[in-house]
Amino acid sequence: MLDFSILTTNMDSFLEGLKITIIASLIALLGSFILGTLLAVMRISPFKPLNWLGTAYVEFIRNIPVLVIVFFAYLAGNFGGMTAGTIGLTIYTAAFIAEAIRAGIMSVPKGQMEAARSTGLTYGQAMRIVILPQAIKIVIPPLGNQFINLVKNSSLLAVVAGGDLMYQGDLISAKTYVTFDTYVFVALFYLILTIPLSLGVGYLEKRLARSN
Amino acid sequence: MIVFNQVNKFYGDFQVLKDINLTINQGEVVVVIGPSGSGKSTLLRCINHLETISDGTLTVNGISVGDKKTDINKLRRNIGMVFQHFYLYPHKTVLENITLAPMKVLGQSEKEAKDTARQYLEKVGILDKAESYPSQLSGGQQQRVAIARGLAMKPEIMLFDEPTSALDPEMIGEVLDVMKTLAREGMTMVVVTHEMGFAREVADRIVFMDAGRILEEAVPAEFYENPREERARLFLSRILNH
Ligand SMILES: Nc1ncnc2c1ncn2[C@@H]1O[C@H](COP(=O)(O)OP(=O)(O)OP(=O)(O)O)[C@@H](O)[C@H]1O
Ligand SMILES: [Mg+2]
Repeated sequence: MLDFSILTTNMDSFLEGLKITIIASLIALLGSFILGTLLAVMRISPFKPLNWLGTAYVEFIRNIPVLVIVFFAYLAGNFGGMTAGTIGLTIYTAAFIAEAIRAGIMSVPKGQMEAARSTGLTYGQAMRIVILPQAIKIVIPPLGNQFINLVKNSSLLAVVAGGDLMYQGDLISAKTYVTFDTYVFVALFYLILTIPLSLGVGYLEKRLARSN
Repeated sequence: MIVFNQVNKFYGDFQVLKDINLTINQGEVVVVIGPSGSGKSTLLRCINHLETISDGTLTVNGISVGDKKTDINKLRRNIGMVFQHFYLYPHKTVLENITLAPMKVLGQSEKEAKDTARQYLEKVGILDKAESYPSQLSGGQQQRVAIARGLAMKPEIMLFDEPTSALDPEMIGEVLDVMKTLAREGMTMVVVTHEMGFAREVADRIVFMDAGRILEEAVPAEFYENPREERARLFLSRILNH
């Protein structure tokens, strides 16, 4: 049987960890969404150097383990674990979000851009007002999946003492020596976050499929 | 107004346009016809620089289209374009589709842009659909909105690339009627279409293309009754018997 006293006596630590996991995931989501959009636009831009830079970023970052990136972020700056971890996650996740958004942009018919440009809109205006809002609709489900991955990957904050759920688990198990049960509770807390997200993404997928 | 001078265009090794010389004057309605793949769309799309010419010169109102110094966005304000598949913005209402460019490009106020938009919607006969989304409209209605969207910029030139080819037969007439009205009002129009009735009624000239070349230019009556080129004859007999 699970030792529930681990949960009750360490509730504050678990909740603190949960809070940090949520905050780090949300900040990283926002950051990687902005950075990812920028990268996606760079990758499809007709301007070659930007194009190259965007591609280089995505290819490099996607092919390095996220753990290594989090370490680099920690070593590179004078940040605390949580900040460094969040930056690392942002850098990593942005590469995947960029690919998702790029796929979304590519799925918008070419004629949309041409129609917008032929009325005199600049490339940037056409992208912002006409293409991206259409692309986002297609991108929401994959973005949701990236967010779920982000929540799970945020457990890497633990390796740089980021104060997150996993880190709290490490502390509790070190303190109580009840390793297995502690990590079962950690897993349950992650599930509390990811299962509703997963259901939400499924729901959105269905709704978007219907509206098309 | 639009002058092609010895224009060639290549896609890699493949030559789409060959030695194009063509002058279109203000107020003229020119219909471009020819077999599939003959370069009609490409010819049209060069005019507003959706495609870049490889050599020769192309000017619109004396301004060189391909020139690096030319402000292409400014040039495009003056050239409306209507596509076979409409390409209305699906996430915007009919009214927003039309007001977007006048507001963003010409800097019109929302009220001014909306007033103009309503005026053109009335002209194309679908003022009652102003608040609808494109997906709620029939093909013919969508294409009329697309025309209104082009007109709202008050261009001097309108380009049409097979504007009725994607429409059900019963909707072709309503779109052609709008285009005929425009033609009679003196709009400079370059129209890729195989609609012979339209061409005979309002075109000043027919341009027949084949394999990237302009093979024949003639007034409609002459062209349809007595095409000089064997190719044109063949082509006409094919579209007539079908
Ligand atoms: N981006 C491109 N790259 C390579 N070849 C192209 C490209 N666009 C068009 N072509 C080729 O150029 C030729 C002319 O195309 P274009 O679309 O101008 O013909 P069209 O006369 O409008 O034909 P249709 O009646 O089918 O619309 C075709 O053979 C086409 O395959
Ligand atoms: Mg064509």
